[in-house]
Amino acid sequence: MSARVIGISGSPHRHGNTETLLDAFLDGAEHAGGSVEKVILKDLVYTPCRGCNACHKDGECIVNDEALPLFDRILLADCIAVASPIYSMGITAEMKGLIDRAQFIWARKFILKTLYFTDDHIRRHKGLFISTAGLSWDNVFDAAFPAVTAFFNTMGFEYYDNIIANDMDRWKGIRGHPTALSAAHAKGQEVVEVIARLDLA
Amino acid sequence: MPIKVLAFSGSPRRHGNSETLLDWILDTLRTEGDVEIDKVILVDANVNPCKGCNACEVLNKCIQRDGMDVLHDKIIDADVIILSSPIFCMGICSQAKALIDRFQVFRSRKYVLKLPVVPPERKGKRIGIFLSTAGQNWDHVFFGAIPSVKCFFHVIDVKDSDIRYLMVNGVDEKGAIAKHPSAQRDAEQLAREVISDIRARLAG
Repeated sequence: MSARVIGISGSPHRHGNTETLLDAFLDGAEHAGGSVEKVILKDLVYTPCRGCNACHKDGECIVNDEALPLFDRILLADCIAVASPIYSMGITAEMKGLIDRAQFIWARKFILKTLYFTDDHIRRHKGLFISTAGLSWDNVFDAAFPAVTAFFNTMGFEYYDNIIANDMDRWKGIRGHPTALSAAHAKGQEVVEVIARLDLA
Repeated sequence: MPIKVLAFSGSPRRHGNSETLLDWILDTLRTEGDVEIDKVILVDANVNPCKGCNACEVLNKCIQRDGMDVLHDKIIDADVIILSSPIFCMGICSQAKALIDRFQVFRSRKYVLKLPVVPPERKGKRIGIFLSTAGQNWDHVFFGAIPSVKCFFHVIDVKDSDIRYLMVNGVDEKGAIAKHPSAQRDAEQLAREVISDIRARLAG
């Protein structure tokens, strides 16, 4: 069975640097035989987590909006690409809003203990973080990693790799970057091939 | 002239741990006669996320018409700006991140258009406070939040050395902070330090 790859674009504007990088990744994944789906968060109707902790009682989120079916699809995917530009040294509020909503999955794992991902499951499920930043600083992505790491942990994905490119202001956008798009394409191919090999193992 | 304090409570949960921490600070400040406090509950303030359109780099204002229209001048006028946010999933909550990202208009003003953010006589005098609480008791639980908080303060002309932090980990359920051995005392102490600091700065 071909690997199911879901890419989530958390940028508030369409076809910018981060989404273009995500597209290259998804193209590569499709090229290698993966079945790919792209979700544009800004078109999704969902609200941030309310912090009500109601999910700590039954593992269900009381906010019934379009985030919930998305979580169902994420849990069915073999590979997830979380794509967000860096705003103010972190992921966008839209992406953070979605990640915070994963609290009900976290509650199932750590409070109710009704959900458990085996090591084998986690090894077969790959998460990638895709990001771009205008600034040239080497540390510009550092504050984004902890939230992405937490999200992958909660959702049962191994943090497989980053596809990140900084200094967008200097390159005049992702298309001006010498290697990022081809590297993203290659990474998409690679991860689907790795998942296929694991499925045979 | 009263000392103006603008405080943002970023948590979606009312009267939870991070808001309580903020309230302890504000209660202490309130005992001073010359302090004017404006507390903003972010979930009620209608602040939408930044659209990333970069129009503010040209217009020197945001194209969105929402709660930020009201907050913009308050942010410039305040002597002490406080941001409180719980840690959700190893970062600040998305409601607080939306506010931080909307400070892009100040960033454009400062770094792109090279215009003053605060009047020259108040530059370098403002103090920022970041308050946070986290359920996990890991020391590194706040690390992901701090760089964004620094952006928030830097672009409104609060220097790095003028940001005060009070971050309390290991408090999760509502009310847990009340049982924390030192949080309330630390908050009150911080408030007293900040008020005497800002008073000296404004007099000087």
